[in-house]
This record gives sequence, structure tokens and C-alpha cells, in this order.
Amino acid sequence: MNLTPYTPQQHVNDLYDIVGFISSGTYGRVYKAVSKRTAPAQAHKHPTTGRPIEAFAIKKFKPDKEGELQYTGISQSAIREMALCTELSHPALIHLVEIILEAKCIFMVFEYAEHDLLQIIHHHSLLNRTPIPASTLRSCLFQLISGLLYLHRNWVIHRDLKPANIMVTSSGAIKIGDLGLARMFYKPLHALFSGDKVVVTIWYRAPELLLGSRHYTPAIDLWAVGCIFAELMSLRPIFKGEEAKQDSKKAVPFQRNQMGKIAEILGLPKKQDWPLLTAMPEYQHLGTVGVYNQAVNRPVGLERWYRTTMGNNNYAASNSPPPSDDALDLLQKLLEYDPLKRLTAEQALEHPYFVGADGNDKVSWNCFEGLETKYPARKVTTEAQEIGTSSLPGTKRAGPSDDIGLYGKPGFKKAREG
Amino acid sequence: MAANYWDSTQAKYWTFTNAELAEMRQELADSEQQHDLSTRFPLPDRRLVSIYLQHNLVRLAKRMSLRQQALATALVYIKRYYLRVEIRRTNPYLIMTTAVYLACKMEECPQHIRLMLGEAARQWPEMGVSESSKIGECEFALISTLNSRLIVHHPYRSLAEFTPLFGLTGDEQTLAANIINDSYNTDLSLTSAPHIIAIAAIFLAVVLRPTGQAAQNYTAASSPASLKQVGPKLGKLVDWLAESKVDMGAVVDATQEMISLYEVWEQYHERICRESFAKFMHTANK
Repeated sequence: MNLTPYTPQQHVNDLYDIVGFISSGTYGRVYKAVSKRTAPAQAHKHPTTGRPIEAFAIKKFKPDKEGELQYTGISQSAIREMALCTELSHPALIHLVEIILEAKCIFMVFEYAEHDLLQIIHHHSLLNRTPIPASTLRSCLFQLISGLLYLHRNWVIHRDLKPANIMVTSSGAIKIGDLGLARMFYKPLHALFSGDKVVVTIWYRAPELLLGSRHYTPAIDLWAVGCIFAELMSLRPIFKGEEAKQDSKKAVPFQRNQMGKIAEILGLPKKQDWPLLTAMPEYQHLGTVGVYNQAVNRPVGLERWYRTTMGNNNYAASNSPPPSDDALDLLQKLLEYDPLKRLTAEQALEHPYFVGADGNDKVSWNCFEGLETKYPARKVTTEAQEIGTSSLPGTKRAGPSDDIGLYGKPGFKKAREG
Repeated sequence: MAANYWDSTQAKYWTFTNAELAEMRQELADSEQQHDLSTRFPLPDRRLVSIYLQHNLVRLAKRMSLRQQALATALVYIKRYYLRVEIRRTNPYLIMTTAVYLACKMEECPQHIRLMLGEAARQWPEMGVSESSKIGECEFALISTLNSRLIVHHPYRSLAEFTPLFGLTGDEQTLAANIINDSYNTDLSLTSAPHIIAIAAIFLAVVLRPTGQAAQNYTAASSPASLKQVGPKLGKLVDWLAESKVDMGAVVDATQEMISLYEVWEQYHERICRESFAKFMHTANK
């Protein structure tokens, strides 16, 4: 009988030269590449700028089981990312160039971005100990929320926003990446909760998720934006909790530690501020947070956190003016406990922090505009080394890796694994 | 996407005129001519073949408690796929199984590949597939042929939005939804915007309703007598359409398409379809 054998039309190695390895995750590996299509007519052009794309990031999805030599069905996360990236297009969203389906192996080819927010945060915190300039901060946030507004208008919740997933090109354009967890929320067939029980890296997870909400909304992305905003100011995660792992019964545990980290600064949520709080499935656990973490009973308060952070940043020494107090107001409205009161992406873009007092203060789409310093280029490793097994939240990249290259040939893999 | 059909890959890459569809199908037939497949293995009217596929898929979906939307997405994948690949060169049961498997992931109700195989193999012994890797391989072929454009806009959402607007009763809404289900047996999902199909379905539902007949009574809509019985609801619909920017020509065409589908439906025999499938599948096996 006719079994629709799959014969790949294209081979990644015929089209791209792999420059090196960038990062890895549960999904697979990402490589930096350049095109072999050298003729100007064949060059890939960026849809919004019209400029030819010089470098590419190729995401290779690994089969569900490592070393699997058969077709096992593509993971739902890969299907989502393929479909959404094909469908969506916005200047603040990473641009998908093409998808190459080889035998048993999927390669998603994206435009390459030289930096990401995590790398920029690390550069400031580890190397030069200066704050991120206020103009860069403002432009980053503006572009990020613009991209998020586009996603939300298209009924897509990103669900995994964190500094490592937000790319920055060498010309200062923000590109939201990694739509592997993103999904559409218009009348889903199942409650959003039922699919992936755990979403969003713990440090960026909204309180309604920590409290077990089943019908969460795009507001979870805005909480993550608030966390990223704070992190860009203080250069460390604002709510750096420890994730409680699933027990043997596969029950999703209450994330007491993370809730405590939030409450150390914001205080515990109160039902007079968040009317639906008592309806949250994990509400009864909220009282135990203070038992384990005394600090939540005397919270710092976001304003004091902000003042302390700004003081530590010592903008005077770094020759850059501090952000306006509008930044604090925006931060407070993003890190709002009640998801119904939290700013939407649309409201956030209209905030005085972006529009200015007179309402026509333009934000640059180049977050590096006016900057003298240049950020170091992304680390790309070429040597083959063993990959680390553990990965911390927010630091998905693993340094050097077992670079098996892009040879999807079964014989080649078999030889290595046998 | 949901908010923006006009920017969708469906509108941009998977919507054609009837003339373009005819040309694509002619090209496909011409490229197969030397193999003489269509003369050796004649098939019933394309719509009857489609009814056969849909009936089979509905049975599978009931068994697996799949939702209508996943089924509709699978049907669209199949229609798009067979625009590019000659059906006689495929195992239609494997294509159906794979389309459902992929559509379920896309519509957020994923099924395990082995469960999918088990259910499909039980329902269609003629599929002749016993390894789930065959579904996995077919999935690559399907995605590749569809150019990874997997997000599908259906008329059901427009129907839900129009229902309160036109004050449709529960029965009328159900009838319109059934007519939308039937529309997947025409080319409408390849030629028309979802809201056009929804309006055509509502129009037919409102017209059919007073006669007390179900959608399965196909000829009712074409009789002028039934049109006279319709009351103010139709007037409201017509008024709204006149004021809106909806392409009335497209609505009329879609309505015609549905009426002619129901005429063709009279000639449907499951056995004839099944046997004609068996013939080309059997020969290809040799």
C-alpha cells in the first residue's frame, strides 16, 4: 500500500554552513550558521527592514528520545512553534526564515540576533558593574511590550517570557523568541490549564499561576514583563525563588518559596486588593508562606526596593541619567497581584514612562541609540565538549556542548551512540 | 490569526479562485497522465469522495471523543494536501489518520501516536499500517506539503459571533453549524473567507428552519416555496448584509455551492467509494 514515504526536498547542509553551537535546551540545540546561497537574488531579506540577513540561528529539534532512529511524531511544542512562527510577523518578534524538514529531523532557521537580554544583564552585572542606561532600558521595554501587544492581539499568550528568550540584534532591535510554549487562547478546546501543567520559568511566573489558577490570561505575560523590567534595573532576578519539584505522585506542588520571594517585596496578596484571590485553588496554602518565611510579614515594598536599586546603580558615576519616576509607577502596575487590574500590553504602551508628560516623547526602536559602549558578541563555541546536565531557570544556555553538528544522517548518529 | 484572518497564511497562501483550483487540479492530472491512473481507477465526484472521508473521520472522532474543530482542521489539511498530491498515489486512510493526529496537536487536544494508530487500524483494517513510525513519517510529508502553514480559521467562530447579532435560536444555530460541517465537502474552505461560509450557512439555516426540515433534506432550500415562508429574521439578515461590507456575491456563490452539494449528496453510496479506494490501493501494493 502507498505509505507516503517522506523524501526531504532540502538538506540543511546544502543550504547553510554551521559556524558553531549557541545553546541547548529540552527541545534540542541552536547553532549559528551562514547561508551558502551567495547570489544576491537568493539572499534572504528581512521582511521589515528589507536588508539581507547575514547570519542565522538554526534550531534543531531533537527527537523525543535521543538516538531515536524512527519517526516518533513531532512534539506538540515544536508543532506550535512551527505553526506560530510561520503565521506571525512583527518587528519585535524573531523572524523565521524557513523550516527544513529532513528525514526525522526538523530545523527551524531564524534570523540571528547577536545578543539577548540575559547576556546584556550579565555584561553589566559581571563585567563593568554599571547600570543599563535608562534610554536602553526604556527602548527594550517599549519594544518588548509592542511585540507582546501584537501577540496578544493575535490571541497568543507567550507563556515563557524571560531575559534569555528576548533577543537583541546588533542594531538594537528587540526580538521575542522561543514560542515553544506559546498558545492561542481564543475559546480553547480545553481549559488552558489542562495542557501543560507548568508554564513560565519559576522566577517569572505570575502569582495567579503560583496559586493554581486554571483560566489564566495574557496578564501572565505582563507579570513576566514586570519581572524582566525589574531585572534590567537591578541586574538580578527580583523574585529569585527555588522551584518545588513534582513529587512521585506527579502532583503539582504549591510553590511556597517563590510566593515567599514575591511577598518579601510586595507583601502577601490581600483579598481586598484582589477580589478573586479566595477563589484560587491554592489559596489555603497562602497562610503557610509567612510561617516558613518571616520576611513576608515585614515586606520591603516595591518603592523602597526601587529606591535602593536606583541608589546602588550609581547612575552619576556611570555618566547616564537615571530612569524617571514613571518607571516605578509602570513597574508597580505590571507587578500588580490582581491579573484583572494588572496593565494590559496596550495600556502599558500608553503609560507616561513611554509617552512622556507631553504625550509625544518618542521611544527609539534602537535600544543602543546614543550608546558609546558596544556589547560583546554572543559566544559561539566550535569545539566539541560534553554538555552539562543541569540548567538553572533563566539560564537555559549551556556553555560548550556536545557538538554533533548538523549531520542528521542516521548512520552517523548510530555510530556515535553505539 | 484569530483576530486577523486577512493577515493569515490561510488568506494569503491557501485561498484560491475556482479557476485557480481547476488549473491546479488539471496540472496535477496532467502530470499523472502517463500513468493513466484516473482512467484505470475512476473515482466518484470529488464531493462524494469528500463525504466518504468525512463520514469515516466522524466515526473515528466519535470513538476518540475528538472535538469538531480538530476534525474540521484535519479535513482542511486533507483538502490542501490533495490539491498537491494525487489521491490515488496515497493511502487515504493513513493520510486521514495523520491529519487527525496533527490537527489534534494544533487544536490543543493532542493524542498519543500509538493510540492514534490503534484506533485508526481498528476502524480501517484496509489501512494496513502497524507501526506508528509510518504516521510519524507521513506527518513530515503532510507538514512539508502544507509548507508548515497549520493554523486554520473556521466558520464556527463567525457563527458564534453572528448568533446573537441575528437573534438565531438554538435550533437555527445548530442547523447552521451542521451546514458548516457539510461545507467541508465542497471547495469552500479553499475559496472563501470563514465569515462568508458562516453567513451562507446562517442564511440556509434561517430559510430551511420554517419548513421544519433538517439539513439532511437537501432540496428544500432550492425550492422557491420555502423562501416565501421566511419571516422577519431573513429580512434582518438581508438588511444587515446590505449595510455591511460583506461581499454579497461571495455569499450567494457559497450558498449555491451548498445547495448543489446537497443535490450531489443524493448520489452518495459509501460502498462505491470504499471499493474504488480499495482498487487503487490494492494495485499500488503490487
